Amino acid sequence: MSGHRVWRRLRADYGPYLPLAPYLFVVLFPFYWMVITAFKRDSDLYNLTTAPFWFKEPPTLAHLKLLLEGTLFLTWLQNSLIIGILVVLITLALALPAAYALARMRFAGSQVMSTGMFLSYLIPPTLLFLPLSQLVRGLGFTDSIWALIVVYPSFTLPFCTWLLMGFVRTVPREIEESAQIDGCTRFQAFRMIILPVIVPGIITAGIFAFTLTYQEYIYALTFVSASANKTISYGVTTDLIRGDVFYWGSLMSGALIGALPVAIVYAFSLDHFIHGLTAGALK
Amino acid sequence: MANGQNVEVVAAPASRVRIRSAWLDRESFQGFVWIAPAFLYLAFFIAYPFFMSIYLSVSSARVGSPESHFVGLQNYQRLFADPTFWQTVRNSFVFTFGSELIRLVIGLPLAFALNRTFKGKRLVQGLILIPFVIPIALSSLAWKWMFDSLYSVINWMLMQVGLIDYPWQWLGEPGLAMWSVIIMNVWRGFPFSAVILLAALTAVPQEIIEAAKIDGAGPLRRFHYVVVPIIRPILFVGLLYSIVFSFTDFSAVWLLTQGGPYNTTHVFGTYAYNIGINAGDIGQGAAITLFIFPFLALIVIVMLRFLRRES
Repeated sequence: MSGHRVWRRLRADYGPYLPLAPYLFVVLFPFYWMVITAFKRDSDLYNLTTAPFWFKEPPTLAHLKLLLEGTLFLTWLQNSLIIGILVVLITLALALPAAYALARMRFAGSQVMSTGMFLSYLIPPTLLFLPLSQLVRGLGFTDSIWALIVVYPSFTLPFCTWLLMGFVRTVPREIEESAQIDGCTRFQAFRMIILPVIVPGIITAGIFAFTLTYQEYIYALTFVSASANKTISYGVTTDLIRGDVFYWGSLMSGALIGALPVAIVYAFSLDHFIHGLTAGALK
Repeated sequence: MANGQNVEVVAAPASRVRIRSAWLDRESFQGFVWIAPAFLYLAFFIAYPFFMSIYLSVSSARVGSPESHFVGLQNYQRLFADPTFWQTVRNSFVFTFGSELIRLVIGLPLAFALNRTFKGKRLVQGLILIPFVIPIALSSLAWKWMFDSLYSVINWMLMQVGLIDYPWQWLGEPGLAMWSVIIMNVWRGFPFSAVILLAALTAVPQEIIEAAKIDGAGPLRRFHYVVVPIIRPILFVGLLYSIVFSFTDFSAVWLLTQGGPYNTTHVFGTYAYNIGINAGDIGQGAAITLFIFPFLALIVIVMLRFLRRES
């Protein structure tokens, strides 16, 4: 077999993968590095003389132990999950009727409202965190996870409403109208006909609301200060840096475990996720 | 007579009920009812704080002190005289457009590579998107560690292959720190760019490509004359979203450099946080964040006009 033919075979078999390899390396290396760091002994971690890519000494669970016993890590995880779930529920409760009205009903100002929905999607937390910090204090939520629960729908709601509008539009009007002729009220038609059909949309919206909430940083940093009220990304990035000392091993194990809930949700809903991502930009 | 009266008494409420239910069913009223919760919520948590921040920017509000009074444009005058503010403006643009350009340049080949069928495509696509899904606060820790002044694995690799001959201070050197922040922002965002581009590419009908091929157009000409015109609208909207996202970023920069060294990586979000929360000067902080607004407004206007023209 000549070299030329070997190359052709290689290209035929692995052609699609060759250009992807460097991308996968860049994307995944930081995560590989997190895993290695999380389980290396300090003496191994801070050894400059040898190649750092693998364990020179046996792995250790000491960093994980510090994370679980020396910080409120599990409380942060719990806070993040509670906030995430409640925000998803609030978002859907507000977004579903709004999306239905904007997609289906014609009323004075509906055009203005749908434009307003779109605009509020573009007003970022960076613009609002200062006045909101005063607003939540005024509502009595000083240093509390409830401050985050009431504020977070402000960035999930516009996006999810926008997304759900697209799904409502795919349901043929005729089915709904025939149900109304048969004596259903609007609400019954919505509940019995629209809702079951747009379940994929509801799941997509829920996933987005959850991941956006889980990723949020600036509001958490501004509204909350007691360690027991922190969210996972806030807690891990602040409580494991003491003075000038970075507990790198524990920081990495915290980041890894903290990333797990979104990674799991994501793995089980990849298609919904990609659909939502492109829908957000395409609609 | 008695009968007649009875009929009247019964009929009146019945017709009133019918009128009322017809009225309730009318879309003009129902539309408001259905949208009211979301509308009121957004009015209270987006519109109201937005106007509040305008008020704050002309007040002497400080963290923890209840008293504030009107100070006119004093906060703005102080900003205009503040060299760090102008540096922040410049940094925000460098950060946003630098990231965006690099994302596109490396996202496009990726989208092409993904735009064919092969075994394990779903898995690859799933892996590529991970940086976009994992909270940036958490993955930024990995980058901070990889950019460490002493134990940087990036330095180790670059020195092994001979690209650099001394350890670079990724986060400690003024010019380099901005690159480091951009590198991480690109890493986080290019999967998004690639997925948007991929969605756009799959929208190009294969027959058109084939027809162009038969007509003798090479890959570059096909891309320029056939693919680009079709994917342009999607590309445009995706790009604008991405720009807004970078321009208003806070956490990526804050976690990596906190705006340093010597304010060389401060963007609107981090500088406003520093002044408004850390230094407690909410009025001045609000004035800084409000400078994001004209820029966003411009993007929105361009976007709405573009969408209207396309449809």
